Amino acid sequence: MTSSFKSIEENLKAEAGKLLESGRVEIVLAYGRGYDENHPMPFVAKHPSDVANMVFNEYCIHNLARYLVRYPRGTKIAVAVKAADCRAVIQLIQEEKIKRDDVVFLGIPVYGMKNPKTGEIIDSKTTCGMYNPVLYDVLLGEEVHGQKIVSPYDVLADYEAMDKEARWAFWKKEFDRCIRCYACRKACPMCYCDPCFIDQSKPRWGDKSPQSHGNLMYHLTRFHHLAGRCIDCGECSRACPVDIPLYLFHKKVAKECEEMFGQAAGMSIDDKPALVNFRVDDSDKILE
Amino acid sequence: MLKKTAINKISELAAVLMEKGTLLAPVKEAAGFNFREISDAGQVNLHFHNTIISPKSAFFPQMEDFVRYQTGKSILEAAPVELNLKPVFLFGVRPCDVKSFEIMDIHFSGTGAVDPYWKKRREAATIFGHAFDLNEAADPAEFYHTLGIGAADPQGSDIFMVTKDNDLLFKSITPKGKKLLEELTMLTEASAGDRKYFEDYIARGHDYKTRFASVEPKAIATEFESIFDNREFWKNVSNACLSCGVCTFVCPTCYCFDICDETLFNKGTRRRVWDACMFTDFTLEASGHNPRTNVYQRLRQKICHKYSFSIRKYGVISCVGCGRCTRYCPVNIDIFSIVEQAVKAKWYKRL
Amino acid sequence: MSFEPKILGIACNWCTYTGADLAGTTRLEYPQNLRVVRVMCSSRINPSFIFRAFQLGADGVLVGGCHPGDCHYNTGNLYARRRLAVTRKILEFAGIEPGRFRVEWISASEGNKFAEVVTEFTRQIKNLGPQNKFKISQ
Repeated sequence: MTSSFKSIEENLKAEAGKLLESGRVEIVLAYGRGYDENHPMPFVAKHPSDVANMVFNEYCIHNLARYLVRYPRGTKIAVAVKAADCRAVIQLIQEEKIKRDDVVFLGIPVYGMKNPKTGEIIDSKTTCGMYNPVLYDVLLGEEVHGQKIVSPYDVLADYEAMDKEARWAFWKKEFDRCIRCYACRKACPMCYCDPCFIDQSKPRWGDKSPQSHGNLMYHLTRFHHLAGRCIDCGECSRACPVDIPLYLFHKKVAKECEEMFGQAAGMSIDDKPALVNFRVDDSDKILE
Repeated sequence: MLKKTAINKISELAAVLMEKGTLLAPVKEAAGFNFREISDAGQVNLHFHNTIISPKSAFFPQMEDFVRYQTGKSILEAAPVELNLKPVFLFGVRPCDVKSFEIMDIHFSGTGAVDPYWKKRREAATIFGHAFDLNEAADPAEFYHTLGIGAADPQGSDIFMVTKDNDLLFKSITPKGKKLLEELTMLTEASAGDRKYFEDYIARGHDYKTRFASVEPKAIATEFESIFDNREFWKNVSNACLSCGVCTFVCPTCYCFDICDETLFNKGTRRRVWDACMFTDFTLEASGHNPRTNVYQRLRQKICHKYSFSIRKYGVISCVGCGRCTRYCPVNIDIFSIVEQAVKAKWYKRL
Repeated sequence: MSFEPKILGIACNWCTYTGADLAGTTRLEYPQNLRVVRVMCSSRINPSFIFRAFQLGADGVLVGGCHPGDCHYNTGNLYARRRLAVTRKILEFAGIEPGRFRVEWISASEGNKFAEVVTEFTRQIKNLGPQNKFKISQ
């Protein structure tokens, strides 16, 4: 059984139309038709008549929070968010990239989303494993209940069990395949730095050529920059043309951060991102 | 000359080619197929639709070293990197990708300035073209037929291969291919039936439709020129674009590169690496000024380069319709849909 | 020849670096494997410094800062504590022995502790052997 995508699509169109007509928002970020049914595209509606082109189906996996920071500050935007995407928007609010008042959350409770490349269901494997948006202004469907709750960190078990030599061999092999197209950082809703550290020439953190050491530097530093901020949407690994399982590393870092700092990314707009925050009574044990 | 061998004996052929030189053939990897240098004849795998990275990497690798130097020493001591190539056999290239070499030749050797690295690699290579399987449905992302390239066009290959049931037929197209085919004694002579099959297959390739449309290069170039300043149109088609480099890195006709000096502990290399017009720092000038700061400007550059500037300057569309950019785009942007929209843009009121 | 590790020390100007000075002026002996870089605060340390140090051939990295609560800038080392804890986890998951990276709080008056930590850490790195995973081969 899967969610009723058709009714979500109808609700999405209706709500988007209302918001645009009333002038509450200038832009609605949602999904539109791609070159075929299995490949819908992120879509921007600016006029009530645009909403007719919206679609929603099991392949609408993209994280639309990515596009929020592209518009000037103060632009009123409604954004269609699934559970992980919603956390991304909350995280952006925490980081003061956008204001809560400027965003309308069109929450989509959904399960059974599929990766169009492989056709497999991605709930909790590469995403955060939640079904209902944490925060929403409008909910576009029935809340999902009764689905199996799987910890998003379950997929890590095999990798944590490896010894350090095996882990290094695994990651070296994966990073060596990287072609440095930077799709991972561009698809990531949390990667908004301009310029990115890897593009800087003074200092030059990593070489531009796709060799092991530059790739390693790029990926490890990116994992670090996303520590405590990664909301586990899995977009980086889906965007990757050579299928590097970046989500595994991100999940591991997210898991450690949650254990050490007792806070998961993007769960509440009142939180502060874990790494720009501290507690005087943080234990020195975390350094051991 | 038409010869044949059984498909399950392909590794024997691979072993012979490896003795003669370097063999580059599709290999199955974690994410799909890619052209790689073969070290074990059993790796060659022809059960592929198309590779992830286009075969341009055989002639224009992602990273190419030019000069090795030491800092603090005279420039006269810097050593240029010489290419000493064994004959290269590029095995199993799809017809649309073969066409892309012709287009790349324009940029790398056809316009006066000759790129010695490209030229040397090109001359060392013998291309084994391989027809698409006509019994298989086309990938929805592809549109080579739309651009006038057949699914079984032998032009451009030195030797062209067609699959017949459990056999692989080889036909020499150029004198270079003919010479090689004569040397490959392990291939058997094809029968008259095979010959007929081969000719029919190539003819059928022209009817193998990818998308139901056709394009007129001159008309498209004009359309794009007329909407170049239509910011609304470009903003609209680039709404979803993430501005990553996937499309350009997998593209068989994208050739932009960056020259970098990479130095470590006094030793350095000047090398070229692929660059992409979709990156923000692609047009960044030393002054700090960047003429293309917006996503729509970069996407416009990419599309107009292929479908407008290239036609104006050299008379060909700089795209072969292999569909890689569409297939690997993280947000499913389809370049051909944009072309279609551009042609219609005139009638578009509010985009 | 026995293995002499290269260890990068990154020390905060106000506490650990002064502590190292004290160790010197009181003529305490500690191994010469440590090369110290002074930074103004432990929170100035970009985690990429540590990755880069391993790439450029460091066998171990030792970070020194003020004791929590004693930071010259009040809260710098409290941020650093969280950040460097993450760095450690990342190195560990990538396959580097976590023992190669260490954070110690050493105040300006703890010359003894500085010498002890360096001696102990050097011994530890010697046991771990050369670090070849991240190191860029030339």
